[in-house]
This record gives sequence, C-alpha cells and structure tokens, in this order.
Amino acid sequence: MNEKFAPKIVGFLCNWCSYAGADLAGVSRLQMPPSLRTIRVMCSSRVNPLFIIRVFLIGADGVLVAGCHPGDCHYQKGNYQARRKFAILKNIFENLGLESDRLRLSWISAGEGPGFAKVITEFTEKIKKLGPNPAKEEVFL
Amino acid sequence: MTKVLKTNKSVEEAVKELLKFLLKSGKVKGVFTLRKINGNGAVAYSLITSLDMLKDAVPLFPLMPANAGKLLSNLTLRGSVVDPVVAVVRPCELRAFIELVKRKQGSLENLLLVSSTCAGVYPLEMAVNGDIDKKLSQYWDATKRGEIVPDTRPTCMGCEHFLPYTADITVTLIGKKDIDNQCEIFLNTEKGQQFVDGIDGEFVEGKLESEEVVSMRNKRKDEKKRLFDEIGIEKFGLKGLIETFGKCIGCHGCSKVCPICYCNLCYSDSKTYEHKPSVYEMQLKRRGGLRVPPDTISYQIGRLTHVGISCVGCGLCADVCPANIPISTIFLKVGDSVQKMFDYLPGRDVEEQIPVTTFETDEFVEVED
Amino acid sequence: MKGAILNVTENIAKTIINFLEKGLDKKCFDAVLIPIKVPAGDSFAWVLVQNKSLLKDANPLPPVMPVQGAKALSSITKMGKTNRKIAAIMRPCEVRAAVELSKLEQVNLENIFLISIDCPGVLPLKDYLGRPKEAMDKFNKILHSAQNDIQWGNESTRPACQVCDKFIGTDIGFCQSNLHIGILGTEDKIIFLIPNNESGKSILNEMDIEAEKSVDNWEKKAKEIIEVRKKKRKEVQERLKSEVMGIDNLLDTFSKCINCHNCRSACPICYCRQCYFESEIMKLPSDDYLMRADSKGALRFLPDTLLFHLGRMTHMSLSCVGCGACEDACPMSIDVSQIFNFVADNSQELFNYVPGKSVEESLPLKTYEEDELHKVEI
Repeated sequence: MNEKFAPKIVGFLCNWCSYAGADLAGVSRLQMPPSLRTIRVMCSSRVNPLFIIRVFLIGADGVLVAGCHPGDCHYQKGNYQARRKFAILKNIFENLGLESDRLRLSWISAGEGPGFAKVITEFTEKIKKLGPNPAKEEVFL
Repeated sequence: MTKVLKTNKSVEEAVKELLKFLLKSGKVKGVFTLRKINGNGAVAYSLITSLDMLKDAVPLFPLMPANAGKLLSNLTLRGSVVDPVVAVVRPCELRAFIELVKRKQGSLENLLLVSSTCAGVYPLEMAVNGDIDKKLSQYWDATKRGEIVPDTRPTCMGCEHFLPYTADITVTLIGKKDIDNQCEIFLNTEKGQQFVDGIDGEFVEGKLESEEVVSMRNKRKDEKKRLFDEIGIEKFGLKGLIETFGKCIGCHGCSKVCPICYCNLCYSDSKTYEHKPSVYEMQLKRRGGLRVPPDTISYQIGRLTHVGISCVGCGLCADVCPANIPISTIFLKVGDSVQKMFDYLPGRDVEEQIPVTTFETDEFVEVED
Repeated sequence: MKGAILNVTENIAKTIINFLEKGLDKKCFDAVLIPIKVPAGDSFAWVLVQNKSLLKDANPLPPVMPVQGAKALSSITKMGKTNRKIAAIMRPCEVRAAVELSKLEQVNLENIFLISIDCPGVLPLKDYLGRPKEAMDKFNKILHSAQNDIQWGNESTRPACQVCDKFIGTDIGFCQSNLHIGILGTEDKIIFLIPNNESGKSILNEMDIEAEKSVDNWEKKAKEIIEVRKKKRKEVQERLKSEVMGIDNLLDTFSKCINCHNCRSACPICYCRQCYFESEIMKLPSDDYLMRADSKGALRFLPDTLLFHLGRMTHMSLSCVGCGACEDACPMSIDVSQIFNFVADNSQELFNYVPGKSVEESLPLKTYEEDELHKVEI
C-alpha cells in the first residue's frame, strides 16, 4: 500500500440532502480527508449508471452516490429508484469481476454534518486499502 | 389442463394448415412468419396476405434472421394492427415483444400469437452457405428424441425458457416422437380457442408441462451452467474485459439487432460521447496511450446496465458480431443475475412491471453503506 | 519523384517504428496514431501513442483492418483540430477516406501528419480471428512476395483488396498523404520515404533526412502491380454485372441481408449519427405495411432492404474509397464491397472525381457547372 496514494473519489450528491450535509460538514470545520470531488445533482435518481461507469473507467478510485434517506426524498420516490439502479450496477460489476467495493451508496441528510464526514473518512480508508484504480493506466479501454 | 387441437399431419403441415385456415376463413388479414423468399433458399420473416404466397411459408425453419419481437414492435409501434394478424414466433422472440410492449414500443391488440416448444435455431453463418437445409434431419431427429440439438446457438442450447409463456397457441415439438404424423397444438387462451373454431381436427385435453418438457429443461439448465462456467466472466476483472473486447470493432451491430435496444439514437452514438480533441489529449497525456475510437468497454458495460434486466438470450448479438465475441453468453449471464435480484423474468407476464420502473420502500439495504 | 532511402534493420515494421520513434524524439510530432496488437494478441486496434514503450507491439501494416483508420482519426478530430501534432500511419485507402472526411467536416487534418505505406491488402477479418498465427504467417509471405510476384496477395486477401488499384499513397494511387513509405522493388533491404508535399519534405528535414534519391525502381514495380489490379478490377466487375444487374438479381443478392446495418457502421464515409434509414421516417403505421403486403400477397419484414442499400449507394458512393470495411463487417458474407465499388466507380466517373485524391477538389454535389450532364435531361 503506497502511503503517498491520495485517493480521488467522485461523489454525486443530491442537492437537497447530501450536498447540504457536505456543506454543513465544511462549515462546521469537520476534519476529513480531501479525497472527494463533488458533482451536485438535483436528486440521487438523476445519476444514470453510465455516469458511474464513465467516471470509474476514467480512473476515479472511488465513486459515491449520496441521497436523502428513504422516505425523505425531496421528490418522494427518487432515492428508491436510485437504490435499484445502484444495486443493478453493483451486481453487474460483481458479475464481471470488477471492484464493486469502489462504488458506494450512502444516505446523508442535510443536518448530518458529522455523518457526511464519517462517510468520506470511512470510504477513503477503504479505497486506500484497495489501492489506486487500475483503470487509470489502461490504454485499451 | 389445456384444450388441444390434434391433427394427423406432420407438425410442419399442421402449422401451415392452421395458418391457411386462419387466412382463408378471413379470421386474420395477415400471417407473420418465416418464408422462403427466393429460389436460392433465402429465408426471411414476411407479412403474408395471400394464400398463394403462404405456400412458401416455412414457420418452423430453424433460423432467426431477425428477432421477431423487434419486428412485431416495428409493425405495431405506431398503433396496433387494425385487423387481426397471426404471428408465428419463438418463445424468446415472444418474450422480447412483451418486454417491448411494456416499454410502449408495441401493441398486443389484434395479434394472435403462435409459438412452439422451441428446439433452438442455427447460427446465422450457417445460413450463408445454405447449410441449414443439410442439417434439418439431424435437427428434427434430436428434437423428437428430446435431446438438445447440436450446433445451434449457444444460448439456444442453454435456454430453459423454451416453453412460451404468453402465446395464445403453442405447438409442441420437443420430445414428441411422432411429429412426422401427428401434431398437438395447445390452445392456451380463449382467444386461441376462438380463432381455431371451425378448423378440422380432434379436440382433446393436454398438459404443456409434460415429462419431456421437464427433462429438456433440466438438460438445458445443465448446458447453461456449463456455458457460464466455461466463459467464467466473474474472473474477468478489468483486464479480462479488455482482453475479451480487444477485438471489438465498435460497429454496435449487437445493439442494432437486439430487440431490447430500441433507442433511435443510442447514447454511445450521440454527441454525449463526442469530445473536443483536448479531452482526448488530456487522457493521452495521463495514460501515455489511448485506444481510438474510444469507449469500447464503457459501451459494453453501459449496454449491460440498460439491457440486462430484459435480456431474453436470443443470441442475435453474438451471431452478428464481426469479431466473434461471445456477447450473447456474457449478456445472458449478467442478465440472468440482474433478473434474479428481483425475481423477474422478462416476458413472463405483460402486467409484470420492469423492476427499474418500480420499487419497494424496504429492500436492498445490503447495498447501502 | 525523389525520396530518401532507409536501410531495413530487422524487418520493415521495425524500421518504420524506429523512424517514428526518431520523429517523437526530435519532437517533429507529439504522438503517433498506429495499429497496436491488443492485449489478448488476437487483433489490432488503433492507439494514439505518446509513450514510446507502447510501440513495441505496434504494427504499421497489420494483416487485418478491423477499424478503418479514417474512422479512428475522425473520433478524435471531429470536434476540432488537435492541439498536438499527430503522425498517423495508415493504409492508402484510409488516408483517402480521411481526406474525404475532411471535406465532409468529420476530420480536421490540421496538425495531422499523414503517412501512407504500400499496401498488399488485408486478410478477411474472420479468417484472421479464426487462426491468428497462421494468418500472420500467410500475410508476411504475401508482404515479401511482391519482389517476385506481381499478383501480390491476389489469392488470399479480401475481395475488396484484390481489385484495389489505389494501394499506393502517391499520385499514382490518387492519394495525398504527407509522406509515403515505399516497400516495393526494394528486395526488403531498404524502404523509400517519399514526401508528397512540402509538409512531408520539412518533416524529413527536421529529422536530418534528405529526400534526394531516385525512386524509379519502386515506381516501376508499383505501376506493374497497379496494371494487374486494374485488369482484375475490370474482370471482376464484368462478372458482377450478371449477378447484380436487374431488379431480380439485386433482390437475390440481398436476399440474405438481415438489415443489421453493420456495413453502414463500419463505413468511414457513413458518418451520420443517426442514419436516415434508422430514423422515425422509416417507422410506418401498421396499415401501411399491410397495404403493401396486400399489393403483392406478401411483404418481407422488415421491408426496404434494397431501399437501404440503394439509398446508401446514393448517399455515399461518390466518396467510396473501396476500403472494404463493409465486407468484413457483414455477418452474411454478402459481396457488399464489390457491389458498392462497382456502383461507385461508375458514379465517380460521371464527374471525373476520385475521392480522397485531393483536399482541394470539391465534392461533386457541393458544386456544379452551368453546362453539363445534358444526357440526363430530356
């Protein structure tokens, strides 16, 4: 494990809950590794699995999809559908022997500043153990 | 128990007689089935409206030049057929059509669906040299004995859904030792029974789920397992994927012939995947080398994600691939796995919602973190 | 014509790759577009290369053409010119297709240095995929046979290649690359570097290579083989007439077509994101189909197979470079390339137009003369 390895995690955060939670974590000056690159979407269900695949193949060490807790989606049902799409993608990754541990789905509410920091810290640790994404260096993708 | 029409004719004759009866009596205005379209043995699906042209029909010919489900979708996309049409299709084609109907890409109305307990079809390349005619006796021999027909498409040999789920009429073929002299046509629905009202033949009772069917299903399941074990996609990983799809030429033929891929303009062919040179040059700088045209692997995984839930394993994708990549096996394996997550079987029931269009409030908690 | 002479070290492929590496070292260009053996070793793919170590598996003249080089070039330059200079080494038909595509605004040739090479043709893709090692041996034999045999591969290459008379990347092959590499008439001991224009000369200058030697030996051999190919082209097209002329013959020829449109997807000239023949306009209400079926008693479904092929001919035959990508892609082994070549030759002759010959030569449909083609008027 390379100590110099600084994971790059791409996070799709839903506008109403998880993005706000991330914001709160920042404002509260909570410590967490600087691994996250945020992409704000209006709802976790906006995340087309193609986005995750593209980001993974470009070489992101980890991909996070974060939304509102089930039952609290700003658009009522979005996160349920996001959960299904994510489950399917994870299943496909497992079937193909791709590192499905690099994909993570988390529910983080707008008030969960510490919760957000915890997710990022845990996920970064996990990715550090997995090492850099080999897709970064592949030529024949 | 189902009502069965029994005739003392070979299955090929009996099916043709059925189609002739339906057309002649005016009960249907058109017959959709395989037909010999010229003197050189070329066989293609056709929409037939005259008794004369019906003579060239070969409904049970073991070839699938296109997925009939896709063709029926094209026929009924702009609206259902106004007058009744009878369509003879294979179970996987029928399932594909049901999946398309769920996606509002076709209509079941006024279609009389005839299918059979399917013994499979030969790969397209065998049709190139007219080799299928030479194989016909072996085909029917194996079918009669309830054996898997050798040299058919891999996904046919491993297909456990050869008993049609939503057909109005099912012609039993597998394991029927006397198909040269006798034909049993199961009338599964009221619609089926109404349409054959008045035809010559004996009416008896029968069970589709017979011993022969169960035995064949087990054989197919074993073959499917062997097929999946042989390809071993779980061991692929990124390296394995790159090796398998190294020879992919990006023609997207697999998508064009796939019944589930109905998008007019695929994401991967659209502007979304076209970038300014600087984007590619940045990739080049990082990796030192960049395969072009890009996005070969991403297209495959992307298509798996979109299509897997409804893949019926018809096998056209592998047939049409110019690089001989075993696409159909890969897609069927992943498709089966995704479908199992939801206990979903594509094409089993038109009322059954496609899993991505619905949800439960309490499920898949194991993927949350 | 004048050119430079390079001694062959190890083999022709290695010599060319050394030349490209030298160009990268001297910063004459920043990257190379070249076919490289894929990781599984069972095919070749176009790779944009900056890291020289990747060139160890490169092959400037692979035995197959899975993807037409112009298509690969278009995928990176469709949206504009590259910022870095790229040397693209391709077969003459790929260079010609790239030049055509630049007229169609699908390739931006600014900052692209096109290098062509004498081409014996390629093996059918399916043949190669079945037995890569044997196929590679067969191809190598063909490559070296030119010294003694002016048939140069005519028995084993693809049908499209067997009738190709434009396999040389200079004016005698109607091709306008920047630099052409001649391997004919050299006994495999040397290769010729023949600049076609100022750009070619200046790159050679930057690499301290002077193009002052006569290339007459090479040109003589090339012209000999061109004559053989021209003759074969005429013969094949004569035979083809009896197979495809007339509606019945056409229908028979395309009776096995399954409408997969692979030919269109593989074709470098067919660049439309959504083909007309796959668009909404081809999707009709069921009555239309039934009415058409009624008129003859039966309608092949999907209909309009021949419409697609004739339509594609109309749309692209003026720019068809005869590369044969279509015939490799056809799952039903239909002689698509031969038929399209036949039609293309005739339609191009109408305007005395050779696709890909020159960037300056305007596409026939983009221009007109006030006084022409009176024979089509009544």
